[in-house]
Amino acid sequence: MAYVSMGEAHRRITEYLNRFCGAVSYQDSPMLCRLLSFSSNSPSLLSLADALNVFQDASSLIRQSDKFSEYGEILAHLFRSLQSYRVGNLVEAYLAFENFANAFVQEFRNWESAWALEALYVVCYEIRILAEKADKELTSNGKSPEKLKAAGSLLMKVFGVLADPYLVFFFLKLYGKGPKRVGALYVTCQLFKTYFKLGTVNLCRSVIRSIETARIFDYEEFPRRDKVTYMYYTGRLEVFNENFPAADTKLSYALQHCNPKRERNIRMILKYLIPVKLSLGIIPKDELLQKYNLHEYMNVVQALRKGDLRLLRHALQEHEDRFLRSGVYLVLEKLELQVYQRLMKKIYIIQKLSDPARAHQLKLEVIAKALRWLEIDMDLDEVECIMTILIYKNLVKGYLAHKSKVVVLSKQDPFPKLNGKPVGS
Amino acid sequence: MNQGGGNTQTVPPLDPNSIENRYGVNGSQVQISPYQYSTGSDGASWTTHKVDNQVVQNGNYSSSNYYHPQPTVATVPATGNVQETPNTASFSSSSTSGTANTSQDYSGYTPYQTSSDPPQNYSNTGYSSYYSGYQQQQPSQSSYPQPVGAYQNTGAPYQPISSFQNPGSYAGTPSYSGTYYNPADYQTTGGYQTTNYSNQTAGGYQNTNYSNQTPTTNQGNYTSNPYQNYTHDTTNSHSSTVAATTTPVHYQQNYQQWPDYYSQTEVPCAPGTEKLPAPSAVSQSFPVPGVTNEMPASNGQPVPSYAQPWRQETNLSQPPSQQPAAAVSASNDAYWMHQTQNQQAHYPVPPQNHYQSPLETKPLHKTPFQGHQRTTYPQEMNSQSSVHQAPLGYRQPTQTTPSVDTQRVSKVQIPTNPRIASNLPSGYTKMDKGSSAAGAIKTPAYVSVSMPKPKSHATAVPEPGTLPKSLCGFVERAFARCKDDKENASCQAALKKVIADARDDGTLHTRDWDTEPLSTVLNTDVTNTESSSTLISSLQNKSPTKRPKSRWEPLVEKPFVKAAPAFSSGVKFGGWNQQNQNNKKSFESFQKADAVTDSKPTYSWQNSAKKSFQRPVKRQRFSGGASNAIDDEASSDSDKDLTPSAMSFATSAEETKRRDSRSKRFEKVQGHSRRNEIPRPMNPNVGNLHSRRGTALRPGEDFDENGCRSVEDIDWNALTVKGTCQEIEKRYFRLTSAPDPSAVRPEDVLEKALLMVQDSQKNYLYKCDQLKSIRQDLTVQRIHNHLTVKVYETHARLALEAGDLPEYNQCLSQLKILYGEGIEGCSLEFAAYSLLYITLHSNNNRELLSSMSRLSKEAKKDEAVRHALSVRAAVTSGNYVMFFRLYKTAPNMNSFLMDLYVEKMRYKAVTVMSRSCRPTIPVSYLAYVLGFTDDMEVCSEWLKAHGASLIADSNGDMLLDTKASTTSLFMPEPEDAVAHGDKNLDVNDFFTRTS
Repeated sequence: MAYVSMGEAHRRITEYLNRFCGAVSYQDSPMLCRLLSFSSNSPSLLSLADALNVFQDASSLIRQSDKFSEYGEILAHLFRSLQSYRVGNLVEAYLAFENFANAFVQEFRNWESAWALEALYVVCYEIRILAEKADKELTSNGKSPEKLKAAGSLLMKVFGVLADPYLVFFFLKLYGKGPKRVGALYVTCQLFKTYFKLGTVNLCRSVIRSIETARIFDYEEFPRRDKVTYMYYTGRLEVFNENFPAADTKLSYALQHCNPKRERNIRMILKYLIPVKLSLGIIPKDELLQKYNLHEYMNVVQALRKGDLRLLRHALQEHEDRFLRSGVYLVLEKLELQVYQRLMKKIYIIQKLSDPARAHQLKLEVIAKALRWLEIDMDLDEVECIMTILIYKNLVKGYLAHKSKVVVLSKQDPFPKLNGKPVGS
Repeated sequence: MNQGGGNTQTVPPLDPNSIENRYGVNGSQVQISPYQYSTGSDGASWTTHKVDNQVVQNGNYSSSNYYHPQPTVATVPATGNVQETPNTASFSSSSTSGTANTSQDYSGYTPYQTSSDPPQNYSNTGYSSYYSGYQQQQPSQSSYPQPVGAYQNTGAPYQPISSFQNPGSYAGTPSYSGTYYNPADYQTTGGYQTTNYSNQTAGGYQNTNYSNQTPTTNQGNYTSNPYQNYTHDTTNSHSSTVAATTTPVHYQQNYQQWPDYYSQTEVPCAPGTEKLPAPSAVSQSFPVPGVTNEMPASNGQPVPSYAQPWRQETNLSQPPSQQPAAAVSASNDAYWMHQTQNQQAHYPVPPQNHYQSPLETKPLHKTPFQGHQRTTYPQEMNSQSSVHQAPLGYRQPTQTTPSVDTQRVSKVQIPTNPRIASNLPSGYTKMDKGSSAAGAIKTPAYVSVSMPKPKSHATAVPEPGTLPKSLCGFVERAFARCKDDKENASCQAALKKVIADARDDGTLHTRDWDTEPLSTVLNTDVTNTESSSTLISSLQNKSPTKRPKSRWEPLVEKPFVKAAPAFSSGVKFGGWNQQNQNNKKSFESFQKADAVTDSKPTYSWQNSAKKSFQRPVKRQRFSGGASNAIDDEASSDSDKDLTPSAMSFATSAEETKRRDSRSKRFEKVQGHSRRNEIPRPMNPNVGNLHSRRGTALRPGEDFDENGCRSVEDIDWNALTVKGTCQEIEKRYFRLTSAPDPSAVRPEDVLEKALLMVQDSQKNYLYKCDQLKSIRQDLTVQRIHNHLTVKVYETHARLALEAGDLPEYNQCLSQLKILYGEGIEGCSLEFAAYSLLYITLHSNNNRELLSSMSRLSKEAKKDEAVRHALSVRAAVTSGNYVMFFRLYKTAPNMNSFLMDLYVEKMRYKAVTVMSRSCRPTIPVSYLAYVLGFTDDMEVCSEWLKAHGASLIADSNGDMLLDTKASTTSLFMPEPEDAVAHGDKNLDVNDFFTRTS
């Protein structure tokens, strides 16, 4: 840490205070954002933090001037947070920032227009990031991480402020401008991120409900950025629920509307969209997988094409951790039935070549043999079970003659395609 | 407890209350008969007459029965309960019948009425209560032949009570009657309630009522139903036609007639004196024990007479009652008699309603009504025996007026909360006579929304009819300015306040609304959020429930506000008062059957007033909230009723006591709100009552609060005790206070206790009890070590073994914490359990994923965990073959968890197979695949139980016919299911635990 003289520290702090008050009084949102954005690690903020560490009595400085003391509470918390942040005491930094955020939101609530919406975004973002960092620190100290949870409830509070129908109405009526509600979706997305990280996804439901049912929200009114994020997360939720058609629409929306230059975002969307599409019977091109570096799906797709059950199982095993963490494991596992279908089709085609008259009769014995070639050991009972499930789920048309252990395929379209419909529908 | 319907029914005359009822009936009857007459004249050709005749006969018959039994009663030392039972019976029936009437009436009648009437929206209760009240009222009048004015006076103090009672009284009836009287009766009420909801036709309703009593009756009812309906319809149409001809003028005539009626009542009553008139005839036939002499006499009289008129009526409006009577046996007849009487009494009510509303489009009943009154005399004479005639004259006058009053009042009242009572006086004084129930009826203020808003009543805005036109314009303008719902809501609130203020200071009609600035209404919201919100809240103080809805559905509300009751006319008021009294009485009779032995019914209600508080209050609260509550009540009551007849009276009384105490808990809240809600000055009497209640509630409240505080303030650290108890065995008792060290076992003793439990041969319930007490001792001593883990593991395993999932979950969540603290244990075994549990029972993919991802590499190598994972795979893929193989090879206690899923898996498997396989599958194969351990008998039993169709082949082997089974498979209701869904709460288990 570079040495900072007392005078220099005083100068920096006053400058910051002046800027802050100026930004507020001129409603200069970008400036305010810059002043609040911890995680940007901007040199000015860092130098301010140094100055604060030297000049311990910043609060007296704030109190000196009426101009500053109007925002005294906000600034005092902010300074304390910045100090701790600079020193690396992230838990302290988080706590102070939380106080700051509370004070800021209170102030924001009273501002007549939504000029500071961007600044509020920054606050929401920062508090989440800080909470994550603080949690990391807590875990490394062997304590239970709980800051992110706290950040979640604070974000919920912010959401409440933005979504407060009364307030929204109030501003709309009184000033006819800048309804703050458009900020609600941003906060929602921050909440999603928090909840997904915390694993308390079920908490998303209430937020979604208020977003999708409250009359004060006009979905089209939200910024596109937030809409894409929102769709991404709700699409993921649908993946959890195995509601594939809904997940498909949401994720596709996100894919279509996201910034095409942000490959990372596209990849994130595709990570979920591909399994969803696969379970709807739509197989992506290899180029797509390669372009977005989604190699973990390569073998899965390959297995689906070939009807290679072994390959699918290997692929699942290989990337089990990744798939489990991202939550698509169960979805991919369910592709097994489609692989079976493919395998049956292959057998059927081969039989057709040799003996077209009897091709529609698949002997369970033959299927078991094919599976044995794939190094999958199944006895006839299990094969029969699989076949009944295939027929039941309408992946194979026909019936199973239990007595003769033969699957009798329908003459017409024995292996119907999914065509975008989920299995079993 | 004498449950025999015959006995109890015969008893009735003894009770003063019952007598009163009959009196009421009489009055009503008189009205009715004219009504019939009119209808008869119009539709003399109706086939229903036949029915009437039959009914009449029955009625007579029954009446005779009625009389005969009495002596027996007299001889037998009847307890208070017994005596009362008749009352209750009659009451309940009456109430039901009343509702039936209403429903009929309304259905045929008009959307308006139903809609306008808040009571309907709320629930049947309201109706029933007021009907009963009506009946009761009449008796009171009869007993007191006093000038109307006097009535009013007496009534005034009780208004508040009545307001409470209205909702409550009805509900009270069923439960009490059920418990004390006989189940059939009780259930009737229950059925009634439902019917009210669903069925508007009386026929349907009655069926339900009596189904319990006698199947034959039911059938009769059913068969008769269509017919009845038909008649009903005709009556309606008929009446409607009449209505068309009739005009408001008629109405007015009626209206004016009231005073006449009053005077009439007075006259006849006075000469007779209370007791004289009726008894003369009756006393002869019945030697009734001393005090109640007059009463029984009166009772007896009405019965026969009523039967006849009633039937005629039935043709018109209530067919069902007739039929049952015909079908019923003698014992039943007696019962029916009561009912019929009651019904009759009710019957007149609806017409009165119509009649009351002058503005209304439907004066249907009015005309007939008028005609009736004149005709009443002759008709009654005809139908009734000579004995009855004498009383008739006297009755007639009484009934009409009071009934009318009551009805109006009751209508207004029912929906309202107790607050109404407070408001009522003011409304009464300030409103002109012109504003009447009619207004309420007319305005379409229905919608469920209206229900939670007693507020509108409280504010008592005059209905449009009485509002100055200019005010309407003002309101319209105000709403026109509102751009959205929010504004509407606030504007509405403001409007209400303005209007209420105007009414309060008497400028409602004098103010120039055309020039009234809208700013007073509109500005509040936009400019000053705070103030408007406070305004809303202040308004809401009167009706806290209202708020949430009002915000979004202001439009609906608005008309409602206007519709708000105009219970202004003095006559009505008087009626109201009387009703209140009556209600109280009825209340009393139901609730405090024991206490009611008083010879003088009139006084009894005063005594009971206090007692009746609790119940009405609670009722009201519910009725305000939703009619469902009443259903609940009914159902719970029915539960009670269904309990074996062996259940002694004492226990049921205890039960009621417990319920009361339970309800007190709610009262606390209620009390709060109520106190806030009485901002207006009110009748001193009213105030008195309120304050009385307030004081009654306060102690409990304080106590409660103290309790809460003390719990919160407990310093748990200070309570960590070091146990000194050396007993190894200890029963679990949920702590209600700080643990006593002498009752807590130290660690070493607990260890022994655990061993003792593990080695115990006793059943799970015993072990569970012991383990819980061990856990408790561990908790209060804050012991977190291997012993704790062991205890929880032991308990979790035992719970699994017994299929006690709730207890298992408790243990598992504790174990997770303990393992998280690094305490050694069988964590892998329990990881497998939790994995299985999630897979098989919680069905939550996300949870499953996260618990799978949490498994370490080592964990996945564990046999139990691996097994659990493969079970998961089998379940997600639906691979039943794999599942049942794993089921057989399950390590640890995995199979116990799987046990709970076996049924589902089997069912799924059979569904899949029957869909996919053709033509048959041998049962032996199914038994093998589905894990029946080759036990074909069990398997085929299971298959049959699930609707599979089995056939035998030439070798005699059982085969599953897959095609037939595809559609016939079903999941049977588990036989051991208990109503509350928790098998552990099964009553048998409870007994084993307690004994």
